[in-house]
Amino acid sequence: MVSRRKFYLFLFVFLLFLGIVVWAQKNFQPVQYNHKLHVEDAGLSCTDCHVNVETHERASIPNIAVCGDCHDDPETDNAEIKKVVSYVQEESRIPWQTVHRVRDYAYFSHRRHVTLGQLECETCHGNVSARELPFEKPYVEINMSWCIDCHEQRAVTTDCYACHR
Amino acid sequence: MAKWGMVIDLNKCTGCAECVAACKTENNIAIVGKEQSEMGRTMLWMDILTLYEGKYPDVKVRYLPRPCLHCDNPPCIKVCPVRATYKNEEGIIAQVFPQCIGCRYCMAACPYTVKCFNWTAPDWPDEMAAALNPDVSARPAGIVEKCTFCIHRLQKAKEQAAVEKRDIRPGEYLPACAESCPTRAISFGDLDDPKSEVSGLIRSPRMFRLLEEIGTEPKVYYLSESE
Ligand code: HEC
Ligand code: HEC
Ligand code: HEC
Ligand code: HEC
Ligand code: HEC
Repeated sequence: MVSRRKFYLFLFVFLLFLGIVVWAQKNFQPVQYNHKLHVEDAGLSCTDCHVNVETHERASIPNIAVCGDCHDDPETDNAEIKKVVSYVQEESRIPWQTVHRVRDYAYFSHRRHVTLGQLECETCHGNVSARELPFEKPYVEINMSWCIDCHEQRAVTTDCYACHR
Repeated sequence: MAKWGMVIDLNKCTGCAECVAACKTENNIAIVGKEQSEMGRTMLWMDILTLYEGKYPDVKVRYLPRPCLHCDNPPCIKVCPVRATYKNEEGIIAQVFPQCIGCRYCMAACPYTVKCFNWTAPDWPDEMAAALNPDVSARPAGIVEKCTFCIHRLQKAKEQAAVEKRDIRPGEYLPACAESCPTRAISFGDLDDPKSEVSGLIRSPRMFRLLEEIGTEPKVYYLSESE
C-alpha cells in the first residue's frame, strides 16, 4: 500500500503546483484589466491611455491619473474595479508588469514605427481591442529576426548600427 | 550619406579631462577599482595621452585626447571572426556588443589601443545604478567595447530629423566628448560636406593624424600645438 500513499502524495504536490501556476497567471498583472470593455464599449482610443506612443520611444502604460477619471466610486460590486478605486484613493501606483521588451542594447522607437512608418498597433501587438484579459506574454516573440524580417520586406535598413547601441 | 569625423585642436585642449568624464557617464563605462586598474584594466573609451618633452627643469607636457579614431581603413575589423566590429555606411566603426565573443583579436590589431575588455561584470553602487544612461546598454563581462561616436545620439537625431522632414543639422548630433569640452577643442561633423566645420578645419596646415604612415586613415584628426 506504500505505492498508493506515494501516489496521493504525488497527486497532492502536483495539484498544489498547478494551483500555484494558475494563481500566478491570474495575478501576473495587479488588476484584471480588460481592453475590450474600454476600447469597444467605453469608446476610448489607444492613444487616450498609451499617451506617448506617437511621440516617444516608449508607449507608456496608463496609471491612476488616467483610471481615476472614471473609477473613483468605491460603491461597486466588481472586485477588480474596487482594486482600481483603492489604488486611486490611496494615490499609489498600480504596479503593472511590462510584457513587451527589447534588450537594452537595441533601439526601438514607437514614434518611428507608428508615426513615421504608419504601422498599426495590430501588426505587432495583435487584436488588442478584442482582449478581455491582461497581457501575460507578448503577442509575437520579440527577437531580432522578427525585426529584420519586416525591415527586409519593407526595404528598411538592416545595418546593425541602426538598432544596436 | 554623411561621413562622420572629428577634429581635436591641441592648441585649445588644456588636458582638463572633462571629455573623459563626460564619456564615462554618457556611455555607462564600468569603474573597475584600484586593484583592477593597477593590472591595466581601466576602462576608457576616451583617454588623454600625456606626453612629456625635454628634460627637467625644461619639461613641456602635452595632452592628447584619444577616442576610437574610426579609421577609414581599420585593422580591427579585418581580424574579427564574427563581424561584431565593422565599418558602417556612414564610416562609423561599430562594435555590436551581443555579437562579440570576446576573442580580443581586434584589441591586438588596433594600433591605437582604443579597445577595452570587460574582465568583470559591471557593478555599480546603488546611487550610480539609478543614474545610468538608459539609451546605452550595460555591457556584460567577456566582451570588447570601445567608443561608438555615441551612436545612440545619432539614432535619436535621425529620428527627430525624419519627423521634421529635414536632414540632420550641423551640431545636432555631437558625441558627449565634443559637447562637453569647455574650450571647444573637439569639433565634430560631416567630412563629406565641404561646408562643414570639420571639413574646413582639416584643411589647416596644422592638421595631422596619428601614425599616418601605417595607412589606417583615421577620421579623428588633430591640429598640432603651435610653438
Ligand atoms: C473613460 C472612462 C474610463 C477610464 C479612463 C478607465 N475605465 Fe475602466 N471601465 C470603464 C467602464 C465604462 C467600465 C465598464 C463598466 C463598469 O463596470 O463600470 C470599466 C471597467 C473596468 C474594469 C472591470 C473590468 C471587467 O472585466 O469587469 C476594470 C478592472 C477597469 N475598468 C480598470 C481600469 C483601469 C486600470 C483604468 C486605467 C488604466 C481604467 N479602467 C480607465 C471606464 C473607464
Ligand atoms: C513595429 C512593431 C510595433 C508597433 C507597430 C507597435 N508596437 Fe508597441 N511595442 C513594440 C515593441 C518591440 C515593444 C517593446 C519596446 C521596448 O522594450 O521599448 C512594444 C511595447 C509596447 C508597450 C509596453 C511598454 C511601453 O511603454 O512601450 C505598449 C503599451 C505598446 N507597445 C503599445 C502600442 C500601441 C498602443 C501601438 C499602436 C499605436 C503600438 N504599441 C505599436 C512593437 C510595436
Ligand atoms: C483605458 C486605458 C487603455 C486603453 C484605451 C488601451 N489600453 Fe492598452 N493597456 C492599458 C493597461 C492598463 C495595460 C496594462 C495591463 C495589460 O497588460 O493589459 C495595457 C497594456 C497594453 C499592452 C501591453 C503592454 C506591455 O506590458 O507590454 C499593449 C500592447 C496595449 N496595451 C495596446 C493597446 C492598444 C493597441 C490599444 C488600442 C486598441 C490600447 N492598448 C488601449 C490601458 C489601456
Ligand atoms: C512590422 C514591420 C516592422 C517591425 C516588426 C519592426 N520594424 Fe523597424 N521599421 C519599420 C518601418 C516601416 C520603418 C521605417 C519607418 C520610417 O518610415 O521612418 C522602420 C524603421 C526602424 C528604424 C529606423 C531605421 C533608420 O532608417 O534609421 C529602427 C532603428 C527600427 N525600425 C528598429 C526596429 C527594431 C529594433 C525592431 C524589433 C524590435 C523593429 N524595428 C521591428 C518596420 C518594422
Ligand atoms: C532592425 C533592428 C536590428 C538590426 C538591423 C540588427 N539587430 Fe541585432 N538585435 C536586435 C534586437 C531588437 C535584438 C534583441 C532581441 C531581444 O530582445 O531578445 C538583437 C539581438 C542581437 C543579438 C543577440 C542574439 C539574438 O539573436 O537575439 C546579436 C548577436 C545581434 N543582435 C547581432 C546583430 C548583428 C551582427 C547585426 C548586423 C548584421 C544586427 N544584430 C542587426 C535588432 C537589430
